[in-house]
Amino acid sequence: MSATTTPRRGAAAAAAADPVHAAESLLHAAACARIPCAPVRDLIGDDDQEAAYAVQSLGIARRVAEGARIVGRKIGLTSPAVQAQFGVATPDYGVLLDDMVADDREPLDLDRFLQPRVEAEVAFVLGRDLDSPTTHVADVIRATEFVLPAIEVVDSRIAGWDIRITDTIADNASSGAVVLGTTPRRLDGLDLAGVGMRLDHAGGPVSTGAGSACLGSPVIAVAWLARAVARHGRPLRAGEVVLSGALGPMVDATQGVFHARLDGLGQVRTEFTGHAATTAAATTGGAA
Amino acid sequence: MSTNAAAVASVDPSTDPVGIEGLARALDRAERRSTPIAQFSVERPLDLDSAYAVQRALIARRAARGEHVVGLKLGFTSREKARQMGVDDVIIGALTDAMRVDDGCRVPDDRGIHPRVEPEVAYLLGPSIADPGADPSTAIVAVAPALEVIDSRYRDFRFDLGDVIADDASASAFAVGSWRAADEVGPLENRAVVLELDGRAAATGSTAAILGDPVRAVAAAKRLAREHGLELRGGMVLLAGAATAAVPLPSSGSVAAEASGLGRVVVHVGEEEPR
Repeated sequence: MSATTTPRRGAAAAAAADPVHAAESLLHAAACARIPCAPVRDLIGDDDQEAAYAVQSLGIARRVAEGARIVGRKIGLTSPAVQAQFGVATPDYGVLLDDMVADDREPLDLDRFLQPRVEAEVAFVLGRDLDSPTTHVADVIRATEFVLPAIEVVDSRIAGWDIRITDTIADNASSGAVVLGTTPRRLDGLDLAGVGMRLDHAGGPVSTGAGSACLGSPVIAVAWLARAVARHGRPLRAGEVVLSGALGPMVDATQGVFHARLDGLGQVRTEFTGHAATTAAATTGGAA
Repeated sequence: MSTNAAAVASVDPSTDPVGIEGLARALDRAERRSTPIAQFSVERPLDLDSAYAVQRALIARRAARGEHVVGLKLGFTSREKARQMGVDDVIIGALTDAMRVDDGCRVPDDRGIHPRVEPEVAYLLGPSIADPGADPSTAIVAVAPALEVIDSRYRDFRFDLGDVIADDASASAFAVGSWRAADEVGPLENRAVVLELDGRAAATGSTAAILGDPVRAVAAAKRLAREHGLELRGGMVLLAGAATAAVPLPSSGSVAAEASGLGRVVVHVGEEEPR
């Protein structure tokens, strides 16, 4: 009896002693095996965002130690409807690594992901640092070198996208990949709140939306991010790519071409091939 | 329903076996009394032709009261909505002058069962719309942002395709903003649209949700009007379809729709605020 229970009791004791490391190990194992895991809120609680960001930082540190390079950030939970669903009043954020970035029209193998979903957004490319914890939209507009249309592939290492706020933060804001368009636009004269978004799959729109769906305007979302990460001691740097948040509902990633058009910003597309490692068991609940 | 049909003296039951007049009368009374009725399809589903026949009879009842048809509206123009309903074509209904609310004015609050509101694009059609050989898009004279109040006369907003066609595609009220010349506005295939309640965004979307491009509404209206016997003439308004999901019409406050580069339309609901 004791022989079989001791190791489990040992693991449980270790998790209790260091829930942040235990959560990171769980998510890392899920990502490596491409088998989704149980929610990490079971370990770190469902409202301690500091602990969740600590899990995220550990995961990123591990990837960086393995040779990945940080190329930017992503903002999640930017729509009021999704925030209400998660019982939070603010967005969250994650880190973009170099191996997550794909080019326009580059095929993406669904096998890279566990339970991928797709959304269209505006990507900001910064021309200068935004390192003040009091950054406002004027600073963001001055620091933005150009914007690009982007498709974000979101993914969750948590089974069935059964996530709460701490689950998605710990899981790097449910990041997967980003496909960047190739038509840079300067912000001068561009009304990002008034940008229409359509995402087509198999010849028709599967998601439509608008720039104002992202915290009122994607520029406002980036200002929020700049303040939040500056306070956390990892300010935004020149050259970083910032995915500002979804402009419309996310949809399941399935085989074939997804084509996003952002009115006035151009278009970007990606083609999914193969099959996802895990078929999304649930189609509700998730947003990143 | 059969007793209702018999009550309409002008209809000979032998030539109206499905009780078209009776169904129209039931819908008309439901609308006028703001009292929902059970969907017809539970007892007896309506095929497309019968459903449009009920709609024509319903509009004829309104016309007999002095209302004029001033436009047409499309329904199920969003792919998601059509899929939810399991339908593969759009539907059409008639708009009368009694349904029109002027921009900036008040929606009559004496009517409505469970009204919902949605932001739309409206087209003002020119005379070539009546010419079967003319390219549909040449009939567009002007465009404007619009608000449509929809209200099903069926209990719990539950209906099948025949039910909703018979119910004039849930038409209830509409408001159109300032018209702008079509060539001045440019393509409308992907404009941001916001529906605001008391200044707060309640829904956001894109005109791309309307048939992929709202301009397609004109050809669709032309085809459906011809197929189902609706009149389409110059000077009519066409509501192309909703750019977002419908939200419940609040009992008071302001409701506005804004489309990027197209402008804004606003209506007020409920009691006049004291000044």
